[in-house]
Amino acid sequence: MAARRKRSNSAASKAQSEFVPEAEEILERMRDDLGLLAETVDGDLNPETINGLFRSAHSLKGLSGMFGQEAMSELAHHLEDLLDRLRMGRAVLDRAGLALFDESVTMAATALEKIGDESEAAALAEGIADLIGRIEAWNAAPRAEAVPVVPELDVPPALLRALTEYEEHRLSDNLERGRGIYVIDADFEIASFEEGLHEIQSAIREVGEVLSTLPSPGGSLESHIRFSLLTATELDKGALVGRLDLADNAIQVARAPLGTAKTEASAPQGASASHDDGQTEAKAAAARAEPEIAEPGTLKSISDTVRVDIRKLDELMNLVGELAIQRSAVQQIASKLAMDPATHRIGTDLAKVHKTLERKLQELQSGVLEVRMVPLRQVFDKLTRVARRLRLDLEKEARLEIEGADTELDKLIVEELIDPLMHVIRNAFDHAIEPADEREAAGKPREGLIQIVASQRGNDVLITVSDDGRGIDAEKVRARAVEAGLVTAESDLTRSETLDLVFHPGLSTRDEVTETSGRGVGMDVVRSNIGALGGLVDISSEVGQGTTLTITLPITLAIIQALLVRVGEHRFAIPLNSIRETLLVEDSDLQRTDGRQLMNLRGEALPLCRLADEFDLDTPETGKSYAVVLGVGDARLGLLVDHLDGQQDTVIKPIQGPIASVRGIAGATEMGDKGAVLVLDVSALVEDVVRKGEVS
Amino acid sequence: MSASTMVTDAWDALARAAAGNEALEEARLLRELLCFTVDGDPYAVPVERVREIVRLRTITPIPRVPTEILGVITLRGEVVQVLDLRLRLGVPAPPPTRTQRIVVLHGDEGEVTGLLVDTVSEVLRVDESAIQLPATDDSAFVSSLCTRGETFVGLLNLEKVLDLGSL
Repeated sequence: MAARRKRSNSAASKAQSEFVPEAEEILERMRDDLGLLAETVDGDLNPETINGLFRSAHSLKGLSGMFGQEAMSELAHHLEDLLDRLRMGRAVLDRAGLALFDESVTMAATALEKIGDESEAAALAEGIADLIGRIEAWNAAPRAEAVPVVPELDVPPALLRALTEYEEHRLSDNLERGRGIYVIDADFEIASFEEGLHEIQSAIREVGEVLSTLPSPGGSLESHIRFSLLTATELDKGALVGRLDLADNAIQVARAPLGTAKTEASAPQGASASHDDGQTEAKAAAARAEPEIAEPGTLKSISDTVRVDIRKLDELMNLVGELAIQRSAVQQIASKLAMDPATHRIGTDLAKVHKTLERKLQELQSGVLEVRMVPLRQVFDKLTRVARRLRLDLEKEARLEIEGADTELDKLIVEELIDPLMHVIRNAFDHAIEPADEREAAGKPREGLIQIVASQRGNDVLITVSDDGRGIDAEKVRARAVEAGLVTAESDLTRSETLDLVFHPGLSTRDEVTETSGRGVGMDVVRSNIGALGGLVDISSEVGQGTTLTITLPITLAIIQALLVRVGEHRFAIPLNSIRETLLVEDSDLQRTDGRQLMNLRGEALPLCRLADEFDLDTPETGKSYAVVLGVGDARLGLLVDHLDGQQDTVIKPIQGPIASVRGIAGATEMGDKGAVLVLDVSALVEDVVRKGEVS
Repeated sequence: MSASTMVTDAWDALARAAAGNEALEEARLLRELLCFTVDGDPYAVPVERVREIVRLRTITPIPRVPTEILGVITLRGEVVQVLDLRLRLGVPAPPPTRTQRIVVLHGDEGEVTGLLVDTVSEVLRVDESAIQLPATDDSAFVSSLCTRGETFVGLLNLEKVLDLGSL
């Protein structure tokens, strides 16, 4: 039934699946730009930001028009109008205008979420109409019309005549502000002029504004092309020459800057070296400086990328997995043939072909995996926005520092990380960072610092979120836990075991804890979210110094490295990232204390648990076994199994059926003709055994 | 009961002949049921709920689940639990036989379950009127009975059969 319904809607849903992500991307950009705008609403507006918004509104209008989203298209059209007036200087942005923008973007985002929901359509359309009415009212409010005045300038008249209305407006605006106006001539090889032009424009934007870029006659060589860049900046000519690393005669002064012009020395750091100091700066500048306002004809995307539904990649991944299973069948046939003298030759030939097949399959697998990888920047950018908002909402003085945004992770993991990280950041702002006065009294800088650092470590990605706030008082956490009946007053807990209690659902949802302990709202949710991604969360904290949360994640969910173990005839897979070591143990190594099985591991007591007992498996006890030492945070557990069967790349699949979930089992993986192998949920196992020990 | 069905069938045949077309048959509510046996008794499920029927294959047991869940099988990359219908209906399970099949069901929310049955016999096309409420309410696992010639086929109440309670 459901399948049929889906089919009849498929045309509409295909359109939606193309429309929604693209529209979301545009709204995202608009939110970014609005954030920048909000910081400068009373000062100078950066024309680039306004232009960026204008382009976004224009794209949104076109996109929603194309997909028949009329209300959204209409809204975008009005925004575009308003932005056009702003960039032309015919309107001045005030708080009311900014609020309208904010509301519009939020409204558009809501409309996107509820797309296809007929019951909401009427209410939404009404909301949008009301908003458009208010935008029109704001637009119509009488304001002083700025009259563009272009005084006498030492600029070739042909160049002035070629200026668009917008460019003229920018020119007069810059003149009013007393900036210097220059005409910069630059000459490029035709084959590569775009690059060179982009570079110089970026360099100019670091210190001023490119008002207009026009090809100019008089190119010296036939293979060269020459441009005149009408530029406004506060620098004087000498400084500009140094900054751009150009010949003196390449820059003509149309009007020198008024008042105290900035000289070379006071120009932004690294002035003279900056132009040619390599990739990084060019990249940074490129990020800021998009091409000039796109004319409708050039709105098509310049990038060579395609958008792919992640589920399609999953399907590919599954196919690769199935191929790998077929491959092992081929391998078996090859060795069977090679054993028989009659077919030995064919067998060895097939084995050779199989080797190549195996290598190519591996390449295919890593190729597909690579496609799924995206930089963490996507999440971190969102967090920056959240932090900006929190700073305003909570009136806390704190800043967010981010490092390692280029670290790559599986797209699915990145998506799922947003909520838990957002939660952690919110907690840090809300509870961990003290009010400025309190910080000052404690001898800390008034402004709090929250740091997110991401880095790759082998097959894992490590993300730490640390703050320099009040820290967690372990004694208070402990008192709460005793009160809540989670531990007894006599429990012998280490400091880190105590801190770990903040992840317990019975404790972390209680608001009072947060007042006293600094962190903890919904930390159980954070841990279970991260756990669902195959990741681990640890916490460490010093009272008065701050708190650090360490999140360890596998790079991809699609394939994990697992250790195969056997208990009797049952086989299980254990994710390698939670295994610290494996040991061969004799029965004589085992000790029993207080109902707990232990062994001495280099002087420390390692709690043990027989997997056969834990899962009630019918197996004879063998004299010796292997201990797989599992680690979740600081907790260790030795899991006793009969055999180790080696490592394998595995694809974890959810188990479907009437039993929704089994404690201790994270999923299963396919093993060719041997059927499925269950994958252990290490966090759950460790937690159960360690907690059982505490209660007894 | 079967006599009246035959009379109805005869009337239908006459009516069809008279109308000279098959429209009447189209208008009738036909249902297709997949029939199988468990411990010699015939049971059925609506064909729409069946995704595929596969031979017995390696079943990996799962710990901490009711005994009726034999374990999981893999189906082209999917991992699916298998429920032994014999155990579920309270019949002792004999050793595996060659005729045993796993009937793979669609779920309401897209989740999939395998039902282990003794033999799969046929697909039965019946009129809606041939399906009736059970005369006695001795098993909640059978929601209604369907006549098949002289015998009855028990239509399984899948929601009940698959509800093993939450762990």
